[in-house]
Amino acid sequence: MRYRRLLAVPVVALMLAAACGGDDDDDSGANEASGDQQENTGTVNLMSAGEPEEVDAYQQIFDDLINSETDYDVEIESVGDFEEQFQIRAEGGTLDVAAVPQPGAIPDLVDSGSIVALEDMGFDIDELNSTLGESFVALGEYKGKHYGIPTNINLKSMVWYPKAAFDAKGYEVPETWDDLMALSDQIVADGGTPWCVGFESEGATGWPATDWMEDIMLRTAGPETYDKWWKHEIPFNDPAVLAAAQQFGDVMFKPGYVLGGAAATPDVPFGDAPLPMFNDPPGCWLHRQASFINASFPETAEAGVDYDWFPLPAIDQEGTLFGGELTVVGTNGNRPEVKDFLDRFMAEDVQCDMGGVQASSRISPNVNVGPDCYANDILADASVILTDSLSSGTGRFDASDLMPAEVGSGSFWTGMIEYMRNGPDNVETVLDNIEESWPS
Amino acid sequence: MAIDTEEPTAPAEPVDEEPGGSTARVATTIGLRTVAVVAGVIVAIVALGQAFDFMRDKDANRFLVIAVALAVGVGGIFVLFWAMDRAVNLLPQDVSERVRPYVYVGPALVILGVFLVYPVINTIVLSFKDKTGSSFVGLDNYNFVFTDPSMLRSIRNSMLWIVLVPLCAVSIGLIFATLADRLRRGEAVAKSLIFLPMAISFVGASVVWRLIYSYRPQGFGSNVGLLNGIKLGLGQDPVAWLSQRPWNNLLLIVVMIWIQTGFAMIVLSAAIKSIPDDIVEAARIDGASELQVFRHITVPSVLPTIVVVTTYMIINAIKVFDIVFVMGGNAESNQVEVIAERMVKWFFLSNNDGRGAAIAVVLFLAVIPVMIWNVRQFRQQEALR
Repeated sequence: MRYRRLLAVPVVALMLAAACGGDDDDDSGANEASGDQQENTGTVNLMSAGEPEEVDAYQQIFDDLINSETDYDVEIESVGDFEEQFQIRAEGGTLDVAAVPQPGAIPDLVDSGSIVALEDMGFDIDELNSTLGESFVALGEYKGKHYGIPTNINLKSMVWYPKAAFDAKGYEVPETWDDLMALSDQIVADGGTPWCVGFESEGATGWPATDWMEDIMLRTAGPETYDKWWKHEIPFNDPAVLAAAQQFGDVMFKPGYVLGGAAATPDVPFGDAPLPMFNDPPGCWLHRQASFINASFPETAEAGVDYDWFPLPAIDQEGTLFGGELTVVGTNGNRPEVKDFLDRFMAEDVQCDMGGVQASSRISPNVNVGPDCYANDILADASVILTDSLSSGTGRFDASDLMPAEVGSGSFWTGMIEYMRNGPDNVETVLDNIEESWPS
Repeated sequence: MAIDTEEPTAPAEPVDEEPGGSTARVATTIGLRTVAVVAGVIVAIVALGQAFDFMRDKDANRFLVIAVALAVGVGGIFVLFWAMDRAVNLLPQDVSERVRPYVYVGPALVILGVFLVYPVINTIVLSFKDKTGSSFVGLDNYNFVFTDPSMLRSIRNSMLWIVLVPLCAVSIGLIFATLADRLRRGEAVAKSLIFLPMAISFVGASVVWRLIYSYRPQGFGSNVGLLNGIKLGLGQDPVAWLSQRPWNNLLLIVVMIWIQTGFAMIVLSAAIKSIPDDIVEAARIDGASELQVFRHITVPSVLPTIVVVTTYMIINAIKVFDIVFVMGGNAESNQVEVIAERMVKWFFLSNNDGRGAAIAVVLFLAVIPVMIWNVRQFRQQEALR
């Protein structure tokens, strides 16, 4: 009797196990890095840092244009703590495809064998260069091979202004840097304050200042020197960088130019910074920030009526600063259907539809995607500037996202804050400190 | 259900087994039982494996997953202990009674080993490796911890937290507990008010205090911060409180004191209440003033409690992270870094596992002496009882 009761335990457990564990798991892990392509598993997972509502809209586009035609399903996943999760999946060998906003992460992942070269997947790099712009594609290049396909781009060199009041005052959109400075002087002479500037962003305080600095560096030193700068082929305290920093300071520290003064800019949240522009009369007239900032504008403000934007003018050279995403393939994504998906992903029809999504301000790096694709005129105008800069080779990626993290999201931020707080005289010390923090 | 009917017979089992039966029968019994136990363990492992696979399945019904997780978590522990108890019963009696305590603490030891000892060892190993944990770099990471200006500042700031938080929270708590003890009415209300912040999480408290310190420069709307409201009321210019170096450190420390004082007060108040009335009365009859009673009777009587509360607060102050993370802004440029905040920064934000691990080890080493002191004090206190 007793033995039978004892045996009853394992038997019950066995039945439970049989009842619970019906499904087959799809072995998404445990695939070692290897040159061989694997079999079609029927699904492609695209990891994205986008907001859930954006990602839902993209999934709809993938369902309509890709999943309906293919023998695999693409699922896009919105991941909250993207940078961390991306590293974990890439290094753990469970990553299919990810759209990465910081191309600076690529070299480490290549060295650890976590991502697959586009050449090994069968991509034609020349073709990518011609549709997506060589300077952007080159950001994913490491040790002679390419690892990232540009799939999203956003414009940073934008100056926003309160259009209605601006027109009423008879101000004109400046075409050159000198015009811009003359306009600023004019505004001061009229009793106004030209610039609204805010660099506060919690733990990341300082990043909007690095964008300003990069925009000016690109225009004073030119794209080639700019590339040398973020690659650390010239030191951070090089005369070219110093000149750019001083020109940046000329705007920030000029009396009456910046609302609240330069020293207060590290304490103004970057999302609140443009708001005085919508006061009556405007508390300030100009605000330099990337294309996403109009999400922080008052809900009642109407694009093209209450506000508009113009590209930050050239200084000594032409240049356009942008940010964006490179899509990389993890070792788990080394499969024929992933290549097929990526071909379709960067094709004009999918990119065009993604530009039309209202929930995001997404611009396609594909130079063949026309301005008609976008949800509004602001994006459409920005896309024209971006595709021009990609074709002409004057567009450059946000340098702080390309520099090592110790600098790009560390000493560069704090250095710019020091500069704002302590004034124009300490600019050399600031640049020396950043140079010193560059990891060897 | 089967489990319930099983329970009462279980203890009797070895007893009625021992006397009867030939050696051969005993051997068969033991053999059969061993097989049953081994089979049971294998089945349990397979079932657990299946259950975990099911819980990881993204497409499964969420409620079913929760139900399975509950069943495995709660039922599993119960079945585990029950099954192990049965297994111990199967052993010869003299062996089983010696083995039983170890079997009971066994799962806890295994869990501690897996979730505490192993990570500690792994962190120590990692602290000697480079940023991706792929090759050894010797003492480079420790060299960084003790030379980087920002790290040195974080150690300085942490020292400030360790001294100021226990000192202020315990003294204020002690004074308040003594005074509240004298209140004829309203003691409970007064103590509740002081204790309330204890119920708020560190992050919640930081959000509240951010509003107190809030600042907007001229032209960016009105100042809603309490402190700047007062300054404006007095006709002075608003101040960006949280970027006033080095005073911003003190402004952050105040938040933790605000949270912890209530805890110190409640514990000390309980200790004060347990001071025998006759001692205090005797002192009063001998003509001792209030201050003398406080100094020579209250404080010495509650000293062991003060020590325990202080060590608890020192450990909390060493580990503080949330307040700085929420309120500190860019900690490096505001110079409000603390050790735990640096650890998170290097581990997770800068993806430098080696440096993060080295900071974690330093933090761990810093806590150990306080822990030892705390345990020793606790033992002395127990010995006195």
